Amino acid sequence: MTFLGPLGVALAVFVAAIVAVLGLRRLGDALNDPALTAPERVPFAGGLPPTVHAWSRYHARYYVMALVFLAFDMEMVYMYPWAVVFVRTGGIAMVEMGMFIAILLLGVLYAWRERALDWS
Amino acid sequence: MRAALARFAAGAPVPVFAVAGAGAREAVQDLRCRAEVRLVETPGAASVLLVAGAIPDSLAEPLARVHDAMSHPRATIWWPIGAPRGEALAAFPDLRLVEDDAMQTIVGVHRELLSGRRRSEPPVLPDVDPAPWRGVGPYGQGGSGMTGGTPYGRPMAGLGSDRDGLRLDVLPLRVGPFFPPFPAGLVLEAKLAGDVVVEAAVAPNPLAAGPLPRTAVRPGLRPFLRALVEPVGVAELELARAREHLRGLADALATHQLPSLGRRVLRLAARVGPGDAGLVRDLARGVSWTQLLRWSTAGVGRLARDALAGLGLGPVARAAGLAEDARLDDPAYRELGFEPVVHRGGDAAARWRQRLAEAAQALDLAARAGARRTGPVGRVESPRGRLEPSSAPTARLLPLVPGLLPGLEWGDAVATLASLDLDLEEAAAAEVQ
Repeated sequence: MTFLGPLGVALAVFVAAIVAVLGLRRLGDALNDPALTAPERVPFAGGLPPTVHAWSRYHARYYVMALVFLAFDMEMVYMYPWAVVFVRTGGIAMVEMGMFIAILLLGVLYAWRERALDWS
Repeated sequence: MRAALARFAAGAPVPVFAVAGAGAREAVQDLRCRAEVRLVETPGAASVLLVAGAIPDSLAEPLARVHDAMSHPRATIWWPIGAPRGEALAAFPDLRLVEDDAMQTIVGVHRELLSGRRRSEPPVLPDVDPAPWRGVGPYGQGGSGMTGGTPYGRPMAGLGSDRDGLRLDVLPLRVGPFFPPFPAGLVLEAKLAGDVVVEAAVAPNPLAAGPLPRTAVRPGLRPFLRALVEPVGVAELELARAREHLRGLADALATHQLPSLGRRVLRLAARVGPGDAGLVRDLARGVSWTQLLRWSTAGVGRLARDALAGLGLGPVARAAGLAEDARLDDPAYRELGFEPVVHRGGDAAARWRQRLAEAAQALDLAARAGARRTGPVGRVESPRGRLEPSSAPTARLLPLVPGLLPGLEWGDAVATLASLDLDLEEAAAAEVQ
């Protein structure tokens, strides 16, 4: 491949990707059932057709858990620079980080009290 | 190359979607223990649709929908098991009939399908959209605005309030009558907010719509129906009870994704005899030791003792601490010193512990019964509770379901229904006695 040079390699990868995509599409069309009837396209729920669309806006129950996780995840990010200055600053940095974590923990306790961590 | 691949594929277990009508539950269940077939949970994964037993005419359209949901190549096999060919199968032109050995027919049809000797079946239902939508609306998608009209043929779900005070979609869902985890014929009309059931209703029993002759009832039920009209040997009745409980558990284990344990229970159900209570107790210890069933059933679908009092709901009532049992009124059982087994809790886990304990007790009773026969007729304790002509335990239990399911996640709702061991066939047979 070295004789192609860096630009040539990139071009070869690009062409190969295009060919792969077109080839897979042709293969998909060839394997696909030609035309499904309306009852054949319906998801199976025991033999009765659905009455409404499956496009449905529902409550993402895990969003509070996701937010709590995110809060602690970002806190870990703050801890890296803190760990660097901790050696120099000592006790005061320890207290500051304790306050920071305490505030976050209050948030978790609040979410818990609001029953946000219950699934159903 | 193609022929070699087809030969290779034909050697694999046949993916079968089985529809068990009246009289066919045991026969279809026993297929789980056979290596030649694999019972799949959706028709999309099957190449053979096995229709067994009597399918009422009112279920013709759902059966056709099951057929059309299969992917190609597909074939339909009818296994009558004594039932006449009804209207439900009239629309299937290429139906293959099981003459003697079902397994041979299934494997043979699958080979023919893969080798191209048998044509894949065309759809049964016409290609008609559920509602006209093409060309309607600003983009021809059938809708207008965010949720108006019938985009792509179906209306959008309606709004309902969520527990967080939000207004979100509530999805109405009709599940059944051929949903594998449910008993054949059960249609649950649920409303779901996300994965939580907010409302539930049960459609009328389709099996009870037409006459269900005694000969069309599955063998495991026949002793109990016979005991309604004549004295029956206690040993026969109790052995049938133990087998029914074990078969019910085997179905539930398959629903709980524990198929190999389910097969073990099925094999045990086929071979237990009077005096094998030890085997059932070993199984009960094994099931409770592994905790497999307990994780998914503890605290699920709790029925209060007071709600069950007087309904004669057999193991469901006794699992909630009620010592109700029609056998207590029978002199033959009194002579044997029969005392009902009772558990506490009333949840799905307690119901399964109860049924296993009752299966072991039934085998004990069968061993000691000798030639004793049941005394009073017109009333018998079936594996599901007090069975009387025109009053089956399932018919009395179904009205409790709409109050039991709301608030449960969908998986727990299915586990709850499995633990109630509903039997629409028994209910239909009791109605026509």
